[in-house]
Amino acid sequence: MNEAHHRRIGDTVLKVDNISLRFGGVRAITGVSFDIKQGEIFSIIGPNGAGKTSMLNVINGFYHPQEGTITYKGTVRRRMRPHHAASTGIARTFQNVALFRGMTTLDNIMTGRLLKMHGPAVRIAYRMGTLGVLLRPLAAGIDFVADMAFWGPAQQEEIRHRAVVERIIDFLEIQAIRKTPVGRLPYGLQKRVELGRALAMEPDLLLLDEPMAGMNVEEKEDMSRFVLDVNDEFGTTIALIEHDMGVVMDISDRVVVLDYGRKIADGKPDDVRRNPDVIKAYLGEAH
Amino acid sequence: MTPAAAASTETFPALLELNARIRGGRPAIREKDLGIWQTWTWKQVRDEVRVMASGFAALGLKRGDKLVIIGDNRPQLYWAMVAAQALGAVPVPVYQDAAANEMQFVLEHAEARFAVVEDQEQVDKLLEIKARCPRLEAIVYRDPRGLRHYTQPFLHSLAAVDAMGREHVKEHPEFYDEEAAKAKGGDTAIMLYTSGTTGQPKGVVLTFDNVIKMARMSVELEGLTDKDETLSYLPMAWVGDNMFSLGQTYAAGFCINCPESSATVMQDLREIGPTYFFAPPPIFQNILTQVMIRIEDASWIKRRLFHFFMKIARRVGSDILTKNPVPFSLRLLYWLGEVLVFGPLKNTLGFSRMRLVYTAGEAIGPDIFNFFRSIGVPMKQLYGQTEATVFVTVQPNDQVRLDTVGVPCPGVELKLDSNGEVLYRSAGVFKEYYKNPEATAETKTADGWVHTGDAGILDRDGHLKIIDRAKDVGRLRNGALFAPKYLENKLKFFPSIKEAVTFGAERDFATAMISINLDAVGSWAEKRNLPYSSYQELAAKPEVYELIKGNIEQVNRDIAQDRELAGSQIKRFVLLHKELDADDGELTRTRKVRRRFVADKYADIVAALYGGKASVHVEAKVSFEDGRTGMVKADLKIADAAVAEAQPARALAA
Repeated sequence: MNEAHHRRIGDTVLKVDNISLRFGGVRAITGVSFDIKQGEIFSIIGPNGAGKTSMLNVINGFYHPQEGTITYKGTVRRRMRPHHAASTGIARTFQNVALFRGMTTLDNIMTGRLLKMHGPAVRIAYRMGTLGVLLRPLAAGIDFVADMAFWGPAQQEEIRHRAVVERIIDFLEIQAIRKTPVGRLPYGLQKRVELGRALAMEPDLLLLDEPMAGMNVEEKEDMSRFVLDVNDEFGTTIALIEHDMGVVMDISDRVVVLDYGRKIADGKPDDVRRNPDVIKAYLGEAH
Repeated sequence: MTPAAAASTETFPALLELNARIRGGRPAIREKDLGIWQTWTWKQVRDEVRVMASGFAALGLKRGDKLVIIGDNRPQLYWAMVAAQALGAVPVPVYQDAAANEMQFVLEHAEARFAVVEDQEQVDKLLEIKARCPRLEAIVYRDPRGLRHYTQPFLHSLAAVDAMGREHVKEHPEFYDEEAAKAKGGDTAIMLYTSGTTGQPKGVVLTFDNVIKMARMSVELEGLTDKDETLSYLPMAWVGDNMFSLGQTYAAGFCINCPESSATVMQDLREIGPTYFFAPPPIFQNILTQVMIRIEDASWIKRRLFHFFMKIARRVGSDILTKNPVPFSLRLLYWLGEVLVFGPLKNTLGFSRMRLVYTAGEAIGPDIFNFFRSIGVPMKQLYGQTEATVFVTVQPNDQVRLDTVGVPCPGVELKLDSNGEVLYRSAGVFKEYYKNPEATAETKTADGWVHTGDAGILDRDGHLKIIDRAKDVGRLRNGALFAPKYLENKLKFFPSIKEAVTFGAERDFATAMISINLDAVGSWAEKRNLPYSSYQELAAKPEVYELIKGNIEQVNRDIAQDRELAGSQIKRFVLLHKELDADDGELTRTRKVRRRFVADKYADIVAALYGGKASVHVEAKVSFEDGRTGMVKADLKIADAAVAEAQPARALAA
């Protein structure tokens, strides 16, 4: 069914050039290069410890590679801070769900909008709120100021952001858990909420770190469907990491295979599947 | 005022005009979308329907065409029904969770030219069967998500159809009113396919007169007004939803609410707090289970409060609801319970404002029924059929009972034929089964009586009791009515009885084979220090025989109240050495007893039940869960149960 239409795959949006990453004496990534094109679903796969998550952390600026460059939207950079990645349109999810467990689904997804909130009133409200926590004795007064600042433009802005979030809730079909604290949700739904928070940033490039890890077959199918739909509806470029080959091969346009920090294959799923090095890396070698 | 409204109010388009005129600013329908309840007033609904109908006309929908409607309860799908009716076309709602090949039968049989569906899921199903449904010309979808790349020329978004409609209205401003005015009360309003447990589904043809007359009757009977609110969450293809969400709404002018999704129904129920609600027994069962789980998890004090006040509620709650006299002290305690427990509980469930709650479809368990009534939810039972446009009998508010389905509705005639089958005649009696005159003739007599296929009895107050499917009901040799499922259901309401199989047709008396419930009887035995090591050993204990005997004698006393059934009290019974099991073929996969199979398999036991022996030796093959089989040998005791004195027959009020 997903071959029925032709997605518009454009120019290179992110180019990884000869990246090497070391932690002391441990070589996590060695001389890896690839490029991700606008609008595609791009997967990085490999056995445990192959350097997949390290690669993702390099892309969003959490790790700084010792060698190599990353070109994102035409700008070459070596060092970047994660929040800078976020504000230039890179969003991600985490291998081990990283949500605010005590907050509701709705509030968790709203946090994805934080970088998009611009109004000075919002900032005042936000900072006053923080200040209120720090200065306990004065908290009531400061909260009052914060509440006052919330009226007018700030409230308008909140409504606008809430509308975006509601569309995401509708899109991911999680209306029933809108007001449920995330900690109470089963794992598969938490993953979906995390995807929702990443989508709330309206990213150009979405990095998914093992979105199907720990899921049963049905949850995997659901998640695959959502990944395809996100790509299709919003035209978002998606780079995902998985070590379950089956799912990835079905939904990806292109696949890169890492093993012991080196790239051993790069191409369309069918080519990669037949690549003898890949088979060897996954199944081991007969001795 | 438009000509359609002036002409009559015997069709839905005409009733819509009327509502738009007399309560145009009041809410007609709501839907929760993107987290917010969106409201349309009667005037807005009228305008939407007008545009949609014109759009359908521009697309080529003609008088007499069939238009299938597939999806969850959505305002636009309800409007599509009335829009089709305004053009003289017939809406045919289809169960939205049906598989594509099941839909194919309905589409072909109804010769549907148009389909209005909710989303991609339904579009995909129709595309799958499109080649086999040559008459299907156009598919209109509401939700464009995922459909952007579908290029088939016969696919139209509802937004595009509405745009065509607005153009059409501009060019032909008189068109809608002229078309809508042509409809008459006797015209077909809707076709509903009955799910058909046996054979192919049948298309029940209902006229405007059927639906609107029954709607008006029920609105008057229950005092529904335009201040009422209800939640539309049951399948649109089911006659009940058509009556509640279209018939009664248009007749009384109240507001219906469409849930955000099928997963949010319980939350939406709470937010809306409807005054009028329908649910089949399993839904109430679910709610009750949820409540009990939450209570068990609640703090000690809350748990104590709940159990204390529930004890009072069970004693007097139902009496207070029916306004029967209750001692002042208990009334006071109940009031306290209302403040502390029942009120907050009802509020959490969304039941605070309920003033009319129907349940129907199957026998409801006493614990469920009593729970809701005792906390002040005015639940009552009705009995209906698609062929009757829902209403046959309803319980009057002051005569709500667990084991009856009430008295005939105003204007409904009811009678029982010689073998106990229930027949009725009313303004709601369907016109025909579409393209199936044989089935129509089998079900509906020339003078308008409809065979329900259900066997029933009328009790002394003229209440109808449904006891079984008519074809399963037999007679003892002494002529007494024998309704196996009725007896078995009564037995299975006891927690200690898991399954029961009764025999009696063409016999001298009735007998029962019973599988005990290992959990319930097991814990009962533990409390009494009765040791046992297996199901078989537990079931053979004399104490357990006494326990079950007590249950059976209770059932005997119950049915002794009914003149017709009193003769079929259970005289002898046996406790089986194993649970009846689908793996052994004794139950269907949906856990219904395969009576004939059981009778053959345990022919020795049946013979012993009627042969007067005190015990019987059985050797039976059993299948284990891993697929292995083994032999079980046992000597089963056969016990007698006391028969209650039959109540003296009194003359029946006609």
